[in-house]
Order: sequence, then structure tokens, then C-alpha cells
Amino acid sequence: MSDPELEAFLDEGLPPERMSALEEALRNDAALRDRAARIIARRNSGAHSVAEIWRTARISCATRAEWGQYLLGVLDEGHAEYLRFHLETLGCRYCTANVADLQAQQQALAAAANAVQERRKKYFASSAGLLKK
Amino acid sequence: MSETAVEDLLISQIRRGDEAAWRDLIARFEGRLLGYVEQRLRNRAASEDVVQETFVGFLLSLPNFDGDRPLESYLFTIAAHKLTDYLRRTGRRPTIPLQSSNESSSEIPLAGPYRGASTLARSGERRELESAALAKALRTIADKWRAKGEWEKLRCAELLLVAGQPNKQVAAALGWSEQSVANLKFDLLERLTRELTRQKLNPEVFPELESRR
Repeated sequence: MSDPELEAFLDEGLPPERMSALEEALRNDAALRDRAARIIARRNSGAHSVAEIWRTARISCATRAEWGQYLLGVLDEGHAEYLRFHLETLGCRYCTANVADLQAQQQALAAAANAVQERRKKYFASSAGLLKK
Repeated sequence: MSETAVEDLLISQIRRGDEAAWRDLIARFEGRLLGYVEQRLRNRAASEDVVQETFVGFLLSLPNFDGDRPLESYLFTIAAHKLTDYLRRTGRRPTIPLQSSNESSSEIPLAGPYRGASTLARSGERRELESAALAKALRTIADKWRAKGEWEKLRCAELLLVAGQPNKQVAAALGWSEQSVANLKFDLLERLTRELTRQKLNPEVFPELESRR
């Protein structure tokens, strides 16, 4: 367990499984609780850590527009591979939330489009027989 | 109009009590906030309550909201606090002592190379200014890597800084030599140190960088 991970835990910034594992570890491990207490003391003293600033300023998070392009599959491979790493390997909570939201919006749009098609089919089927032969 | 300009406009309208603007802000952000909270709680009703508290918290803190800060990050920060409160109330989150068990209260031990707390006392505004300056320097570096398509360097920095992995592990993950990882880390910290000096910021508040001077 690295200090940056402990810092991220304190800010509710780790992937959910890692958060749960750390909660369990902190209950049972006095040395780990001491390390967390030291980090809190360091923060309260006003000292910054580079890792904390990188994470809280979200230096490497993609924009929502970039995630939209990622989901549409229009990014070049290197860029897309990096975003996949940020999402799946690093497990960025904020970007995961954005991607889930964008996917839900895409699904809602697709469902709405299907509903429109179905409605049009129904109108057509019920009326086409009246067309002049 | 850029996304930032739209958000600035929304904020100014909300400050004037515009209900349509408030509805718009909720519609823009509730999905991602719910996603963030629900990943952790796996309970829709409880997650919706936390998001509701987040929006209430946002309105209450609006007089203090600094427009320079990205709105999404600000809302995620409030959501993280509300989520932590919820987890504490429900007994899921263990309490961390405010000092380590083997130290006296008169001398708070600091993680890593950090020095005594008394030497660092200063205003909240000053702390914000320091972290903003370092964030700007980090963003400049990351943006250059992005522009050049140097995605491996970003991955390396994330593994080192966000995941806190040692050089050897990062090298294995990226298929790099340990020396290459060490070089990137050295360059990154060196550039930050130069920026710190250029901006005449107190090195004591960046202990990792101070040790390099």
C-alpha cells in the first residue's frame, strides 16, 4: 500500500474494490492506521505532495468530449489505448462515472430512436392499405 | 460557446436565483455524480440521497465557489465528502485517529520527508495558490506529452504518482528499463523544482521538491 494510494483513499478516490479492501485493512492493521494518521497530519500542516496535486487537479483525466469520442471509436489507437489504461488499469473513479453516464445517454438515445421507428412502422402498417393502388 | 463559458453563465444565473439554470445544472451533472456514488454504494436509493445532498451542499457553498476551478471537479469533491459522511454514518468507513498511536500530541509525525507542522502555518488562500501553481506546471508537462502523442510518458507518470508504484514495477508494466523510468521521474521533479524557484514559492511546503534543491 503506497502513500499516494492512502491519500487517494482519504479522498474517496480509489476504485471501489480497492476502497473496500483498504477499509478492511484499516480496521485490522494499527500500523496502516498510523500511516494514514501521518498523512492527515502532513496535510493539516499544510505540506503538499506532488501525487496529491496531480490527482486532485485531475492532470491526466480526459475531458468529457474526449470520452465521447472514445466511445464512438474515433480516436487514434495510441490515444484510445491510453484512455483505456486510465479507465481500466488505473481505475479513475471520476472518468469511470463520466463514461457510465455517457453510455447511459447513448443507450437512452438509441432506445428513443427505436421507439420512433416502431411508432412509424405502426402508423405505416395501419394506413398503407388505404394508399391508391 | 465553450463548455467553460456555458458553465460560467449557468453559475452567474444560479447566483441570481434562476431556477431554469439550476435545473440545467442538475441535468448536466446528476448522471455522472450518481455514477460516481453508485460505483461505491451499489444501492440506487442511497446513492440518489447522497447526490441530493451534494447539490444542496453546492448551493450552500456557492458564495465561496471560485470560478477558476472546474465545476465538475468541484461537484465531485463535494460528492466525495458527502459519500464519506454517509459511509461513516453507516459504519462502513473506519475512523482514522488524528495522530499516530506512538507519538505525543505535541509533535505530530509527518509522512515521508515532511518536517514539523509549526514551520508551515499560513493562510488557506496561500495554500490554494501554491497547489494551483504546481498543478499548472504539471498540466503544462502533461499537455506537451499529449500534443506529441507521448501516451507512454503519461502512463508512466500515472503509475508513479497516482498509483505510487516503485520504479521497478512501473518499468515492468511498461516494458521500459528501470533507468528510463528513473529518468522520467527525475526530469518531472526537476522541471517542477525549477517552476517552484521561478515563482518564488516556499520550498518547505513541497517537501519532495525541497530535498532536491
